[in-house]
Amino acid sequence: MIFNEGKDVPGNIILEQAVRTEMLKLVTNRIEFSPEYLDASHFSDKEHFRVFQDYLGRKYAAQKLDLIVVFPSRDYRLAGDLPSAMFPGVPVVFVAVNEMEVPEAIQKFGVTGIVQRFDLRGTLGLIMRLQPDTRRIVVIGGTNEVDRATLGRIIEASRALEGVEFEFWTNRPVGETPRAVKSLPEGTVVLISTVVNDASGQTYYMSQLAQMLAPSSSVPVYVLGGWVIGSGAVGGAVVDSEDLGARTAQLAVRVLNGANPKEVPIEVATKGTPMVDWRALQRWNIKQNRLPANSIVRYRPRSIWEEHQALILFVGAVLLAQAITIAALLVQLRQRRRAEMEIQRQRMELAHVARVSTLGQLASALTHELNQPLGAILRNAEAAEIFLQRDQPNLEEIRAILADIRRDDRRAGDVIDRMKTLFKRRNLVSSRLDLRNLVEDTVVLARPDAEARQMQISVQVPPQLPAVSGDRVHLQQVLLNLILNGMDAMNATPKPERRLTVRASETKDGNVLVAVSDCGTGIVPEEIVRIFEPFFTTKPDGMGMGLAISRTIIQAHGGEIRATNNALGGATFAFTLPRLDPEKPENAGLPETA
Amino acid sequence: MTSAAANHTGTVFIVDDDASFLRSVSRLLSAVGYTVQTFESAQDFLNRVTPEMSGCVVADLQMPGMNGLELQQAVKHSTNPLPVIFLTGQGDIPTTVIAMRGGAVDFLVKRAPKEELLAAVERAFERGTKERQQRNRLQNLRGRFDELSKRELEVLERVVQGWMNKQIAADLNIIERTVKLHRTNLTRKLGVQSVAELTRLAGEAGLFKSYKDSPSHQPH
Repeated sequence: MIFNEGKDVPGNIILEQAVRTEMLKLVTNRIEFSPEYLDASHFSDKEHFRVFQDYLGRKYAAQKLDLIVVFPSRDYRLAGDLPSAMFPGVPVVFVAVNEMEVPEAIQKFGVTGIVQRFDLRGTLGLIMRLQPDTRRIVVIGGTNEVDRATLGRIIEASRALEGVEFEFWTNRPVGETPRAVKSLPEGTVVLISTVVNDASGQTYYMSQLAQMLAPSSSVPVYVLGGWVIGSGAVGGAVVDSEDLGARTAQLAVRVLNGANPKEVPIEVATKGTPMVDWRALQRWNIKQNRLPANSIVRYRPRSIWEEHQALILFVGAVLLAQAITIAALLVQLRQRRRAEMEIQRQRMELAHVARVSTLGQLASALTHELNQPLGAILRNAEAAEIFLQRDQPNLEEIRAILADIRRDDRRAGDVIDRMKTLFKRRNLVSSRLDLRNLVEDTVVLARPDAEARQMQISVQVPPQLPAVSGDRVHLQQVLLNLILNGMDAMNATPKPERRLTVRASETKDGNVLVAVSDCGTGIVPEEIVRIFEPFFTTKPDGMGMGLAISRTIIQAHGGEIRATNNALGGATFAFTLPRLDPEKPENAGLPETA
Repeated sequence: MTSAAANHTGTVFIVDDDASFLRSVSRLLSAVGYTVQTFESAQDFLNRVTPEMSGCVVADLQMPGMNGLELQQAVKHSTNPLPVIFLTGQGDIPTTVIAMRGGAVDFLVKRAPKEELLAAVERAFERGTKERQQRNRLQNLRGRFDELSKRELEVLERVVQGWMNKQIAADLNIIERTVKLHRTNLTRKLGVQSVAELTRLAGEAGLFKSYKDSPSHQPH
């Protein structure tokens, strides 16, 4: 790889890198690159060229070269005369970025290559597109033949623009220009051309010029080479060194693979790539939407998203998954809670229905229970009326009658009160219970029915029992249900043996057991396990809900219920209730239902 | 106010396990002029009832121990089958039917108006009196038939069935004159004048029923 310039020319560095990268991509064999620099900008005399040529000849005398890639800038001798003299037979591919005409003779040496011209028309077009108000373009250029060739093409291209004034700063030393561009008026832009030699004979690279002028300029600065962008210039329709390098490499590989350079025409490209510096656009407040569609925008700060896309996506996905899981769990929890509440509500509903239907069984007996005092009241009132019609009413008798009426009224009221609580629709309400009282009140409800059916109910509750808490109405319902079941079981029992016993006692572990024993038919052993299941019934008109509901209620109290057959006939249904823990609040034993 | 009750000599026997109700009914019936006696259970009544007692029983249907229907049966088959009125807190139809079939005079709910109760007691008393008279008459009648000799009864049996003396004599293997003698004696003992009257009394006393359906003994 032979370079006309020194090692440090920015455009060449990018170009060389692009050529190497693309070639390594295309060729599987190992490639060894040997770069050599003439550095003609600094050493332009003939002696230097000769020494360089001699040096190359000696250096590579023993080497077998497969290809020579030349970066000739303006000196096409590097691509033609030199290789043909020093390395005859070695194919040559060159790449040049300038406005100079390629000498026609060069291809006779078996050389091919690419000449990339500055896209001046494109750059001027871009200027007018980004800044339509531009009236004046200041061109910074040099005096060298290359510089003049470039300027010539700029003038040529400027003819397409009407109403824009061009000003060429070629006669003043470049060193003075930074100060001059500080005070340029609005509607002006600066275009940096090549300055191989300025008026004072100095050499400036385009990137150097951009660095000198762009930061302090009062107006936007445009450039011609892609490698220049980043120094403060807005941009231009530039030579994209990477693209050019890649194309050069592709050409080189074609030649390496046997294509005859003589038969591959030299390519002259003029089309540049619109390329801008995002920071400069911001500085000059140029809208990005004015850019041509194929523009390349450089130095746009990468957003956090661009910087850490994968991480963000990953974290986002994790968070999303987590959120979805949590949401799903919440929904599930909510649904379950709702379902539980619904079940609870339905249980209460069912318990109520069962209770009402239990009371329905007792209706006849309870009507009797009510009619007894009401009948007595009526008879007493009728008797009193008769007494009062006498000439000398017996006031003592009437007073006794009134006392009886009052007592019977209270009796009737008590019957109604007992039923009323059982008819109410309600949730579990826990309170401390006097079990003895509860058992007696329940038996009172069942007793009229028992009497009508010629059955005896005996109650055995010791005065000292551990305290329990629970829902009085629901527990009464359970007990009543067990008592009525027991009575039903004794329908076929001979009358003198129709005895039902309700017992309460303390269990070994300190809880309370309530047992209802009958002298009925007992339970078929196979059915004992199923007897608490819903819809299981042995009665012809039974619903099969009574014991199922009883079990639900007892379990809600933290107790259990079971059935056994008695040794001497009949069955016993017993439930336990946990004793009240004095440490806990009284309603701690029951689940929340409201 | 004591209009209806004043004419009666009988007693109302009230049986109810509910002391308060017992007392109230007793008060009312006493107030209108009845003689009242109260019992707290069916057994209590049965223990204390005597053949001389007259009147009617007012009983609760639902009682512990012996209930109303059982009391009714016991009274019906006792030596003093007094009429029974049932009072009930709540009467269902099957119980009512059983009670009425068992010969209950009335079946009242406990809260029935006074007038219904008094009317029922009145009916029961009337029926009691009638039944008592009938029973007495029958007893008297049976007493008279008991005075007849065996031969007289045999003759009577055939007379009632319309046999001629000649046929009776042949059947019993005695002479016709003896048959006539027996007929004279038995009509005197029973205090009847005609064969028609004799037949009615025999039927009333429930005699010879088995013969009625055996016409094979009858000539022609």
